[in-house]
Amino acid sequence: MGDLMFTVRPPRRFPSWPALLRLAACLFAFASAGHLAARDARVVRVWSHQGQEAENRALRESAAAFNAAHADRGMRVELTFFPDFQYAEKLAIAAAARDLPDAFDLDGPLVARFAAAGLLAPLDPHFSREELDDFLPTILEQGTVDGKLFALGSFDSALVLYYDREMFARAGVEPPPGGEAWTWSEFLAACEKLRAAGLAPLSLHMDESADEWFTYAFSPVVWSGGGALISPGAPRVRGVLASPENVRSLSAWRELFARGHAPTDPVDPDLFGKGLVAMDWTGHWMARAHLAVKGDKLGVMPLPRVGERSVAPCGSWCWGLSAQAADNEGAVAWLRWIVDAETGVVPAVRANGAVPARRSAFTAFPEYSEIPYKLFRAQLETAARARPRTPFYATLTARFAAALRDIARGADVAARLRQAEDEIQSVIDRRAPAAKEAARP
Amino acid sequence: MTAWEKARARTAPLFLLPALALLAVFVVWPLLRAAAWSFTNADLLAPGEARPVGLGNYIDLFTDARFLRAFGNTWLFALLVVPLQTALAFFLALWVDRPEPAWRWLRVVFFLPVVVSMPVLAVLWTLLYQPAQGDTMGLVNAALDLVGAPPQAWLRDPALALPAIAFMSIWQGVGLQMMVFLAGLQNVPRELLDAARIDGAGPWQRVWHVIVPSMRNTFVFVVTVTTILAFRIFVQPYLMTRGGPGNSTLSLVQSIYETTFVSQDLGRACAAALVFLALVGVLAGLQRRFSREDRE
Repeated sequence: MGDLMFTVRPPRRFPSWPALLRLAACLFAFASAGHLAARDARVVRVWSHQGQEAENRALRESAAAFNAAHADRGMRVELTFFPDFQYAEKLAIAAAARDLPDAFDLDGPLVARFAAAGLLAPLDPHFSREELDDFLPTILEQGTVDGKLFALGSFDSALVLYYDREMFARAGVEPPPGGEAWTWSEFLAACEKLRAAGLAPLSLHMDESADEWFTYAFSPVVWSGGGALISPGAPRVRGVLASPENVRSLSAWRELFARGHAPTDPVDPDLFGKGLVAMDWTGHWMARAHLAVKGDKLGVMPLPRVGERSVAPCGSWCWGLSAQAADNEGAVAWLRWIVDAETGVVPAVRANGAVPARRSAFTAFPEYSEIPYKLFRAQLETAARARPRTPFYATLTARFAAALRDIARGADVAARLRQAEDEIQSVIDRRAPAAKEAARP
Repeated sequence: MTAWEKARARTAPLFLLPALALLAVFVVWPLLRAAAWSFTNADLLAPGEARPVGLGNYIDLFTDARFLRAFGNTWLFALLVVPLQTALAFFLALWVDRPEPAWRWLRVVFFLPVVVSMPVLAVLWTLLYQPAQGDTMGLVNAALDLVGAPPQAWLRDPALALPAIAFMSIWQGVGLQMMVFLAGLQNVPRELLDAARIDGAGPWQRVWHVIVPSMRNTFVFVVTVTTILAFRIFVQPYLMTRGGPGNSTLSLVQSIYETTFVSQDLGRACAAALVFLALVGVLAGLQRRFSREDRE
């Protein structure tokens, strides 16, 4: 096959060494130019997950305002968004490559893991006691690991039981007096009454694809029954997750599906808004939509309780500083800016309708004197509990959510919780041998 | 050696260099890195602080109930899918192998699911498999209802979930294999078929004794590709059941993904990934062996 090529005289040497050297020089120049540009100005690298478009716009505007206000000091934030779906993975990979940005937002329950890996810088030195007292207690609880504050958010979340007053009246269901919660048997009785009146009672959003929904929305059932997901202190789930209290609480929860009060496989994500069910177990994010559809017919109450008192969940995305931040001063300035009532909290909450994280920011939102917003704040001030702050949270929530999905569809509560216990404990034992020693009797 | 050959021998490595460099950077180096990590307790968030644990990760893998379950599920899935999908693809190919234009449409119809993105199909089939709730049910159950069979909980039933996903996967993938078989059918010597017909062979005998033996390489190729694809199953169960109910549809790839990004146990994830690589590598090696024998 070489014969055909003989007509063309092959070059003696190719590629020529001078050409190769020139290429190498070019590449080298490229690489070093990139390095120099990065160190040129005081650029604070900031990462955020991509939320709804309004949220992203608000954050971009906050960043632009920050840049304008800090131009005289030559300080500038460079904001990069990443898709929500793979943001946690993105952060993990950046951490592994020691390439975390100076400041980044992360979901509240992940703070403990990042803090334990030494990737977050403590925030206590940068905020005065008075400033911290202005935050909702839940925000501080979510960001505090082993007594140190590692993250602060500009908004929090709330979960309530919305209901349709008209449907209740039609079925003769009496809602609990203002601000109080039903006991579980009152809750089930109300469902029976609605069914008797030909109404479907409830949506629990079991079609939600995110594991986190299940832990977020149904841990309160476990907590109100006096149980826990994981032991405080040394991480241990064995004997905690499948405790008799939890089996009792989640058996009560399963009744909602066993008796057909809530669909295990809903096709429609907003049954309540379409008037197909009388109650909706969902978060603050549905408040605007539900108010728009229902108006005065919309009622709201705390989550029904299995035990003595109703417990609400809380927590949301929050901001942390990288322990490896190149420009710590700039990163701190950005964090203070984004959790400041005026420059951070109000724009964010305007955009996403979440609950303001700072008490001083509520004056900008008159709706908080009315339902459902009034209940959101009241819950966060008094009845909410942060999800467990453990480095093993990601495993815990994935396995617990899988267990909840199966239980709702009829799995044996005790056996399924024990399986989840085993799966989570085996990860803990592998990753925290010290904790295993401590837990040994 | 002519001057040209000498020059070629000298310059060949230079031409290979870019490709080799890319392979080294993006394939060989990560593989070696993963192999090294698989013997440590590396943490995804701090791989620099890894300490060696010897074979610990590998021993743990084969005593971990969840990983073993994933291993078993993946094998079961492959055993369900590979023979059925290959046979079905072959018979579909025989059926649609006709010159009339109308049959072209049939080929397009069978090929269509291959083109549609898997997440879309996963959502679609989740709806089709909807269990009966009150008076609503998914289309599959509605069809069963029509013929008087009791509705099933499909994806919610630990015994049915994996077969249901396997069925959907066969439906999705069969078109591609059918096309490969169609191409293979064009290579079956006409004179052999004519000779068989003259000798009085019936349609089944022609298929079994003429077509199948002359398409041996096509079969080996289809079986191997289907096996490798079956072992890589991830999207369908991840989106349709998240590996549930219980762990009945947990796949190897999902288990590796979760070890990496959920428990962030890098060392162990690397060990699992290498075990997986070895498994797929052995299967691919077997295929090469089979097809080479045929060429002799």
